[in-house]
Amino acid sequence: MNRTARPADPRVLALLALLELLSVFYLWTLDATSLQGQRAFALILSLMLVSFSMISYVYRTERGGRGVSRGLLVAGCLLALAILFTNLTL
Amino acid sequence: MTEVETQAEREGEAGRMEKLAQWFDSRLGLSHQFLRPVPEYAINPFYWLGALAVVAFVIQGVTGVMMMLYYVPTTAQAYSSTQFIFQSVAYGSFLETVHLYTAYAMILLAFMHLMRGYFVSVHKKPRELMWVVGMLMGLVTLGFGFTGYLLPWTVVSKSATDVGVGMIDALPQPISSFISFLIIGGGGAGAELLRFYDLHVVVLPAVLLVLLVVKMYLLESHGVSEPVTASPTQEGKRRLIPIFPDVSFYLLELAALFGSLMLFVAAAFPLTLAPQYTPQLASQFTAQPEWYFLWIYQLLKISAFEEAGLPVAISVVSVIIALIFLLPFIDRGKTRMIGQRPKYTTLGAIFAAEVIVLAYWGMVTPGRVIPNWQAALVLGGTAVAVALISLVLHRLIFRRLVTSSADARKALAAPSVRWASAWTAGSFAFLMALGALSIGWLVNSVSQALLGGSAEVLATLVLSAAGLAVTLLGTLYLLYRLDLGTGMIKRRIKAFEVGWRE
Repeated sequence: MNRTARPADPRVLALLALLELLSVFYLWTLDATSLQGQRAFALILSLMLVSFSMISYVYRTERGGRGVSRGLLVAGCLLALAILFTNLTL
Repeated sequence: MTEVETQAEREGEAGRMEKLAQWFDSRLGLSHQFLRPVPEYAINPFYWLGALAVVAFVIQGVTGVMMMLYYVPTTAQAYSSTQFIFQSVAYGSFLETVHLYTAYAMILLAFMHLMRGYFVSVHKKPRELMWVVGMLMGLVTLGFGFTGYLLPWTVVSKSATDVGVGMIDALPQPISSFISFLIIGGGGAGAELLRFYDLHVVVLPAVLLVLLVVKMYLLESHGVSEPVTASPTQEGKRRLIPIFPDVSFYLLELAALFGSLMLFVAAAFPLTLAPQYTPQLASQFTAQPEWYFLWIYQLLKISAFEEAGLPVAISVVSVIIALIFLLPFIDRGKTRMIGQRPKYTTLGAIFAAEVIVLAYWGMVTPGRVIPNWQAALVLGGTAVAVALISLVLHRLIFRRLVTSSADARKALAAPSVRWASAWTAGSFAFLMALGALSIGWLVNSVSQALLGGSAEVLATLVLSAAGLAVTLLGTLYLLYRLDLGTGMIKRRIKAFEVGWRE
């Protein structure tokens, strides 16, 4: 089965677009000269990069016909949660 | 318009696009493979430490260019412009912090890349020049750190740079004057700052880019090095993977995770700007270089190397760096397996451990002169400890390799063989301890003798030289015995067999 040929669900795309819009709106509201604002900006960017690497990992492994490691995905999600948690506490 | 006409128009358009694509392809060679595919075993972060250092360099470039828009490289405005970036520029503090932390990461990654390359023997034929180019890139990376640190013109950065410049002054005369002219210029703080700025933003990036292109070309010529494993790599792992999209996406993942880590650290530990440099403030401040130069700084603080002994210490450091540079032409054995290169792996482990120990020690003893006995004890002790660990690891690896067959396992279980193994391991441990201590004391006594030593120093010198000679002879004897047992000795040496029974 050619997994790469599987069309993306349009509902997922809509959800991703909504999340992206919310993130951009959130970043736009930050105070760019205060320490708190800059911290939040760095952490949101950090979160986005973790998400991007997970998406890339899933795409790459599925394309190669190999199974996606659940351990790695769980670790990535935990890392993302840790960054979010840090954002709330710092 | 009829359907047939529309179809013909579409075909014509497709033909024009195809022709355009072919025109570009024939001129630029886009459909050809730019970079050679990579074997599957290279899908491993340790193979891409150098690539991550390049990612750090790119982040440095982006954040550096943004800061350049505001920074003024004069002694009067360097600090105030840095302060302006911190306080008034949107995300300025964040830019400064990320710039500094990625610089640290770049140096750390370069060091890890060097040590990994050393242990897995990437310097061996035909990659000798790659090693030399990589070493040059490492020096340029340190140059980035050295020149960039001065730019904020804080009391910490200026004092640390003065320590570094002081080290350069201790070099032999023509070299010292040349480097001083290169990095300080016509003299004076203003000229120094401007020269450092030019080196940091123009010269060093240009040199690094040229070296990067050369290294990429060499990598493309020789490909990724084979893994160092006890058994031949499984065939599946040798399957070649195209650079695009598989390897490119893998690298993007690594780069994204690295960037994420940098951002996280920058958010968790934001940088604060130290006070502005003034000579009065600097006189109350204990100068300390950045962590990546601390090991050299700590070495120079050993009392034997103080004042007139400084050139000796600088020479020792220069010799170490020169030896690492020339490693491909020194370590010319064919084997790349760690288990079969005990001498080099032990030496590499000792070097890495000494660098880490010296750096930490330098961090906790700022400005304090280290007594000779303490230095000999700490450095000698570290060398002995690492040598012993290395010996044990080698024994384990060797044992695992030998015990792969049932017959060999049975033979090794015999009491006489066990006793011989214990005797050999004990002798090796003793020789390594003696060797490490002898080298420590020899360096110490040579430096003291150069400063005009007493009879006591001379006695230490003779004893340590004797210790080193005993170590060398003992190691040769032991190796001879071992090799004789495995039948690898073709020509017997009678001097080593005095008192033996046939």
